[in-house]
Amino acid sequence: MAEGVTLPVVFTTQTPYPIPAQKFMIPATWKRYQLSQLINKSLSLPKPVPFDFLIKGEVLRVSLAEWCSEKDFGMEETLQIEYIESVMPPQRMADIPHDDWVSSVVCLVPGFFVTGSYDGVIRVFNSSQKLTQTVSGHTAPITSVCILHSRQTGDAYSDAETRIIASASHDLTARLTSLSLSSSPSASLEDPNSNPLSKPKALASLHLHTAPLSSIQASPSGEHILTASWDKLIGVWDTTVPSHDEVPLEHEERKKRRKVAADAAEMDAEAPRRKAPVSVLKSHTGRVMKAIFDHKGAKAYSCALDSTVRVWDVESGVCVETISASEKPFIDLISSSDGSALLAASTDRSITAYDPRLFSSSLSSSAPPAIASLTQQSTPSSLSPSPSNTHQFVSGGYDGVVRLWDVRSVKGAVASFRYTGDANVNGSGEGKGGKVLALDWARGLVGVGGENGLDVWKIGEGSNVE
Amino acid sequence: MVAELQNGTRKRKAPENDTIKLANIDLPQDVGLDMLSDDGGEEGAEETDGEADEFPGIDVESDTDDLEGENSEEEGESDFDESSVEEVSDTELQIFPKAKTITSDITGQPKKVYPEIEPDYDSDSSTEDDPNRAGNVPMHWYDDLPHVGYDVNGKKVLRPVKGDELDKFLETVEDPSSWTTAFDKSTQADKLLTSEELDLIRRLHAGENPDGNYDPYEPTIEWFTGKGKEEVMPLTSAPEPKRRWVPSKWEKQKVMKIVRAIRQGRILPSKPKSDKPQFYSLWSTPASDHPPPLPAPKPKLPTHAESYNPPAEYLPTDAEKAEWEATDKEDRDRDFLPKKYSALRLVPGYDQFIQERFSRQLDLYMAPRIQRKKLNIDPESLIPKLPSPNSLKPFPNYRATRFLHGAGKARCLSISPDGAWVASGDEKGVVSLWEVLVGREVQRWTFKGIIGAIEWCPRTDVSYLVVGVEDHLHFLIPPNLPPAVQMLTLSVLAPATLPAAPPTPSPIKWVSTPASQFDSGSPVLTLHLPASSGLPKQITWHRRGDYLATVSGTDQATVWIHQVTRRHSQAPFRKVKGSVQLVQFHPTKPHFFVATQRYVRMYDLAAQKLLKSLMPGLKWISSMDIHSSGDHLIVGGYDRKLCWFDLELSDKPYKILRYHTRAIRSLHFHPTYPLFASSSDDGTIQIFHSRVYSDLMTDPLIVPLKILRGHEVRDGLGVLQVKWCPGQPWLVSAGADGGVGVWCS
Repeated sequence: MAEGVTLPVVFTTQTPYPIPAQKFMIPATWKRYQLSQLINKSLSLPKPVPFDFLIKGEVLRVSLAEWCSEKDFGMEETLQIEYIESVMPPQRMADIPHDDWVSSVVCLVPGFFVTGSYDGVIRVFNSSQKLTQTVSGHTAPITSVCILHSRQTGDAYSDAETRIIASASHDLTARLTSLSLSSSPSASLEDPNSNPLSKPKALASLHLHTAPLSSIQASPSGEHILTASWDKLIGVWDTTVPSHDEVPLEHEERKKRRKVAADAAEMDAEAPRRKAPVSVLKSHTGRVMKAIFDHKGAKAYSCALDSTVRVWDVESGVCVETISASEKPFIDLISSSDGSALLAASTDRSITAYDPRLFSSSLSSSAPPAIASLTQQSTPSSLSPSPSNTHQFVSGGYDGVVRLWDVRSVKGAVASFRYTGDANVNGSGEGKGGKVLALDWARGLVGVGGENGLDVWKIGEGSNVE
Repeated sequence: MVAELQNGTRKRKAPENDTIKLANIDLPQDVGLDMLSDDGGEEGAEETDGEADEFPGIDVESDTDDLEGENSEEEGESDFDESSVEEVSDTELQIFPKAKTITSDITGQPKKVYPEIEPDYDSDSSTEDDPNRAGNVPMHWYDDLPHVGYDVNGKKVLRPVKGDELDKFLETVEDPSSWTTAFDKSTQADKLLTSEELDLIRRLHAGENPDGNYDPYEPTIEWFTGKGKEEVMPLTSAPEPKRRWVPSKWEKQKVMKIVRAIRQGRILPSKPKSDKPQFYSLWSTPASDHPPPLPAPKPKLPTHAESYNPPAEYLPTDAEKAEWEATDKEDRDRDFLPKKYSALRLVPGYDQFIQERFSRQLDLYMAPRIQRKKLNIDPESLIPKLPSPNSLKPFPNYRATRFLHGAGKARCLSISPDGAWVASGDEKGVVSLWEVLVGREVQRWTFKGIIGAIEWCPRTDVSYLVVGVEDHLHFLIPPNLPPAVQMLTLSVLAPATLPAAPPTPSPIKWVSTPASQFDSGSPVLTLHLPASSGLPKQITWHRRGDYLATVSGTDQATVWIHQVTRRHSQAPFRKVKGSVQLVQFHPTKPHFFVATQRYVRMYDLAAQKLLKSLMPGLKWISSMDIHSSGDHLIVGGYDRKLCWFDLELSDKPYKILRYHTRAIRSLHFHPTYPLFASSSDDGTIQIFHSRVYSDLMTDPLIVPLKILRGHEVRDGLGVLQVKWCPGQPWLVSAGADGGVGVWCS
């Protein structure tokens, strides 16, 4: 390639760093670094911001000339290049070993990591990776954990440090547990009596489902909870703790419970209240794998193994819209942080993006087409949206690789790293981490839960890293 | 030439002799006849023999043209009379004039008189009146003499005056005609050349014909061609020559010569034959390995159009003629134009004769006839038309999760009716219950000995599974059941009031744990099979979930049918021919399939009789499954073959597929999707699309879709069991490498 070859290029962006729309003649030998410098110079930014460049939905990794020759793109045509703030390579911050598989991770509360595990215990770790609290109560593996946003009620939990944790389990119930998340490093498991406030208190158990629960999710306001279960139902619950049992205890179960928890008989007085759902959403014909609220809390989305994504009106409890994909049993669903995209992972190794704004307007029309479909090498078991960037999300697969995606770059992941965990937990000792089962991305940190405990990685967007 | 010279000298000879000499010269020498010179003495004999016998078998008409030519010469000669044309022949043949001997008048002596030489063009002497008659002698003989020779009367011819060089020069200058003179040797003087001589010299000098009257460009006289002389017929109208029908004299002479040679013994007519025996074995020579020569292709018979006088409708119109002429020779549909002649003798010669012969020779030379053995079949057309696998999605194509059993081989597995849980058993006696999607074990039971078979009860209102170990069947309840389901399951398996004992006591004891002491870690109900009955190889449920059939033992396997609600077991077959491999309930009818080593028998359980005996033609049946419609059965064997039976159709397999490289271990039809899977000891699982039509006329469609690899072969064992996940196109496979894989679409 001759040195003097230049390409006509037009830059577009959706970042807060627009440059005037005009045609640039760019030397063909330029790569990402020179282009990023060009943007920085033309904007004369006080702090340099690294950018990544997307051409036709693909991140530019080579020089422009090589890209053109690879894609058979004529040198005379004008290139449309979109630039995005680039992502720094993820860095591994910590790993926290667990006795059993981690099925759920929450890192929403600053300084704390809450994990739900297959041994039926919720563990709370502080920022120095110390186990501060454990919450037991479930008799079967916990599948999902979420933290309710603090709500100032007139109850005894007005302390800002006290949070309510909702957990769903294989034992057909979900539980609401209040515990105080103290940031003081003195609170540790070794001395649970030192801080009486830190003792978790089971508030209520949610009784609806007749099959293991697959997910539990709270509304943004913290007033409602959605539970999804394998019995094809979705339960809508409020978070008030009833004063008496709303669901009668079955005779047989009482006997069994007594037998199992005979040693904990004194807890009967403080036994959690048995709570009934506000409403039940039923339309799914397969196991419901995930149910989430939209960012306003008025609507709910759910995905199931019957290859459908359904949109629910929570107030009336009816299914507003159904997206039927052909033979895509969905196993996870997230909404991007501003609600502009709905991403569903299915067992055919694809992650499909839908735009909820499209199908909320059109009633009973045909299901809106997927706006993007991303394919990876293994089953995507869990997804988590970026808290700040509406286009980015991470996905974890059964092959132990966590990939960072940008919806605009459909050809491949922007970045990926391997979940290793603590390799000697399960005696597998293979050096690789096994399956990734849970992901949570908040505050620039990604908690990765899986077979081998919890990994914490730092993923910073370009603006945050500088 | 030689013959003519001889003719000239010995003219009086008989014409027979001459012709014989001609024949002597012209006869090819390789005839093989010994010919002695027989000029003189044979004449008498020839006369008599010629009359006596004709040489048999010579056809006069077979004379060749060459012989005819010789014959005509001979006739010309034989017509001469001796006396009449003597002078003519003398003038023709003699070179020198003949002298006459006469008696001289003067001397009276005989003298030779030569005839007067006529001074014509042919005469020897020149007609020029050359004054010098000295003859052709060297002229330097007269150099010292005043004369140069003698004239005709003997007078001296004086040397002409010769000037000196100056005179010669002046002569060339003064005399304008001096350049046309030439020196005459005989007169020793310059002689003026005539204009004819000058013209001759000029012609010779220019390289032309010296004859001035010769016209090289004279018009051709068309003797045989040209207008009015065209020869349209190949025949000549000349009358048949006499030689065509008169016996050939020349041939007669030839024959007579041979006859004489035979008589004299110079030619042996019947030579002793070679020593080849008269009879010999025709087949003694080995047959050649070449194929026999091909018969020439038969030419088509001529049609009316090829007739010399075809009906008018066969004659081409002018447009057709023009079109025929315009097309290339190769593109013409026929290579002639029909023409009409009123009579056969008007048909001209075949104008394409030479071209046709030439092209025929070219064909023989360039394109010999070859027998082509190669079949001209497009190999693609032999492959049956199958739909593309992409159009038959979904089917499993990758392994999503893998559950590892510690050390033992995973032998068997079963999937719960709702498709959420998998129970798998290994050879160490461990039964694990785990989630299909996540692969997380939630419960583990450990038994003594090998787990032979696991089967989940197909009922949806209760939930339990049956595990077969050595001499025992254990009924297990999975954990985390809803209270209602748990209660019902317990009441089914461990009822408070036992049902009435059956009238015929059975050797099988049903022992159940009381419901109050139930613990999910131990079996709630155990069936004690008769001692040393062996490992249950197979457990199969009736679709209602009340009856289950087990096959236990290896050599003489026994079949038991257990009824859960009545807690009763019975052996339906008192005596079975062959060792039972597998049993299966019909999905809709009260029929029961029993597979022995070679055959599959179909019994009617209600009427208690044998309905059908299927013959798969396998050496050893290893696996069997029935389609959910109940009309199709697949049977796999240890000899790598899979047989598809259409039960409505025949006792023989509808299709036999052989695609695995090792023994088939397990087969399973998907309950809802049109799929079936087979696993083999070669470590692969093959997925097939199997669409069964309710229309009886349409054959089932079987399309191979995918080969799933990922299980290791250990101890010669590959994938031991495959099961489909109900409700999803997912496959779960248990391998000898201890892994249980979930294959997702």
